[in-house]
Amino acid sequence: MLRKSFLVLISLSLACVLTAGSSFAAGEVKVGIMIPTTGGTATDGKDMESAIKLAVDEINASGGLLGKKIVTTTGDDACDPQQAVAAASKLISEGVVAVVGGYCSGATLPTLKLYGEANVPIVIAASNSTALVGANPGIGFMINSTGDAQADTAVALFKSAGVKSIAIVHMGEAYSEDLASIAKQKWEAAGNKVVAYEVVNKGEQDFSSLVTTIKSKRPDAVFWTAYYAEGALLIKQLKQAGYRGTIAIGDGSNSPKLIEIAGKAAEGVYCFSNPTVDYLPAAKTFAADFKAKYDVAPGPYSTLSYDGMKLLADAVKRAGSFDADAIKKALQATDNYEGIAGPISFTDKLTLARSNFVTLQVKDQKWMLHQ
Amino acid sequence: MSTLDIFFQQLANGLILGSFYSMVALGYTMVYGIIKLLNFAHGDIYMVGGFVGLITLSLLSPFLGAGWAGILVAMIISMILVGLLGVLIQRIAYVPMLSAPRLSILITALAVSMVLYNFVMSMTSGEYKAFPVDLGYEGLEFGNVFITYTQIILVSSTATLMLVLHFFISKTMYGKAMRAIAIDQDACRLMGINVKTIIAMTFFVGSALACAAGVMAGVYYGSIHFFMGFLIGLKAFTAAVIGGIGSIPGAVLGGLILGLLEAFGTQLPFIGSEWKDVFAFAILILLLLFKPTGLLGKTEIERM
Repeated sequence: MLRKSFLVLISLSLACVLTAGSSFAAGEVKVGIMIPTTGGTATDGKDMESAIKLAVDEINASGGLLGKKIVTTTGDDACDPQQAVAAASKLISEGVVAVVGGYCSGATLPTLKLYGEANVPIVIAASNSTALVGANPGIGFMINSTGDAQADTAVALFKSAGVKSIAIVHMGEAYSEDLASIAKQKWEAAGNKVVAYEVVNKGEQDFSSLVTTIKSKRPDAVFWTAYYAEGALLIKQLKQAGYRGTIAIGDGSNSPKLIEIAGKAAEGVYCFSNPTVDYLPAAKTFAADFKAKYDVAPGPYSTLSYDGMKLLADAVKRAGSFDADAIKKALQATDNYEGIAGPISFTDKLTLARSNFVTLQVKDQKWMLHQ
Repeated sequence: MSTLDIFFQQLANGLILGSFYSMVALGYTMVYGIIKLLNFAHGDIYMVGGFVGLITLSLLSPFLGAGWAGILVAMIISMILVGLLGVLIQRIAYVPMLSAPRLSILITALAVSMVLYNFVMSMTSGEYKAFPVDLGYEGLEFGNVFITYTQIILVSSTATLMLVLHFFISKTMYGKAMRAIAIDQDACRLMGINVKTIIAMTFFVGSALACAAGVMAGVYYGSIHFFMGFLIGLKAFTAAVIGGIGSIPGAVLGGLILGLLEAFGTQLPFIGSEWKDVFAFAILILLLLFKPTGLLGKTEIERM
């Protein structure tokens, strides 16, 4: 009896898989979502999933995709390379036409090969390590800016502020040192001067000697590339020492805590940030819809995930078919698609053609979008 | 900025940093002087002082405001509280160990240090806490040299505290008893001095001074966190050794010298500000090698 029911189950699930493969004909099309729904990054992952589903609902409500209703299936990558491979295999075997998602770069990396072999395009919403660029077999479309882009945004800000010479300070660990060296390289390549390139120790409280050194070299701007705790102290001590030039900080310092610690000294400080809902005028309706549907405020990568799904739909419409090669071609040909997080076009390497970092400035003890 | 400007600015920087070191070094040196204990929990007392100061200031600021009046009252209250904490630690952790070998009590001090910072870490979940004061950054400008009013008030209040301590040690009976115990405990006991009370008092004074430094650091830098006592503890120890451990004027001198060395050390060519700790501890090693008694310390034969 037991064996019999087991057999029935097997044949039933087999039938399911088979019909899933052919369900396109039945007026439905399947899109995969690859995000972490378990582990330490699950909150952001679920938030991305909610945003993608919101986009799907909107598309379905307005007639679907080429006359078909979109259904989604989620693969949990758990922000772990091994789990991610399993999740990608699951999505591919379920016959998705394309995938949206990708949060942890480390987890997204090994899946690119699988998607490449199965010829399934993926719109990568959040993962932004430069390592993904080299490993991409032509199926991954990155709509979040890579680390290089932040340095570009910084250089652009300094130029527009009339800055001629800058001082760069980092903390000696991979993240801030990387950003500092890219910024230095780009700033010098643009024909400008870096008068001081300094390192501080983590947990340091007194930066007076460093501040004196910086002040004596008279930079027009100081760029801090590490985190808020030391950054706030540095800003405060720069102001205390009478430094009145421009101060800019990297996205690692983008925290309300920085203003809390630095107080009045933080006024006028610039910061670079990923495009989060608070600073995107175009995302107002999205934020309201999201709140209405899920009863929570949208998180940091929700706008990019929403854009990723909408972009995919747009590309399918332009391609006029669900054929993978046609979708890839259409995605690549994307020309300034108006997403809520900003316009999307791709480079030859399938990365976002512009920096999507926004510049914020402290005004009245609050982060405000700098125009 | 000319070289001269940099010199004077670094002189000011060094003195401000040095006065923090001196305040913490005083507690080290007093405790060492009286019971020959290197109290490695002293840096954490400084850290706890910062947090107690933050709490009292937050409680007081509705009544006194977050200006200097509020800070002063909060500082005095927290100095008393943390002084009592110092006495409590001494009673619980050190008194039972006084007759044990020196190494045991040293290890006890390390344990106390861990207990203190882990406690604060769990209470604050390891976060940086912002001090609810913002004294701005107005100040005096001498050419290119800039000194804020906050810095001036800070340095003068440490100087005041040190003068009060000096008066206490050299002019009062309690101070005399402290000095006597440092020389010979048994003789003091025979002379009718209550050695236990005086030792407790030493811990009270040392901890209160460290607390004052902790509160000032919070006010001056604007944020405190559970691990901030570690580095300053080591630096203050270095300062105490430079001055000659056990010597009170030595601790003040050592702190100022260390502050100045750090400030000027970073001005040497090819040595960036990330090297300042290396500078401080290299000096500690050299001093321990060549003049272990420090600048003002007395030579004595010590068996560990």
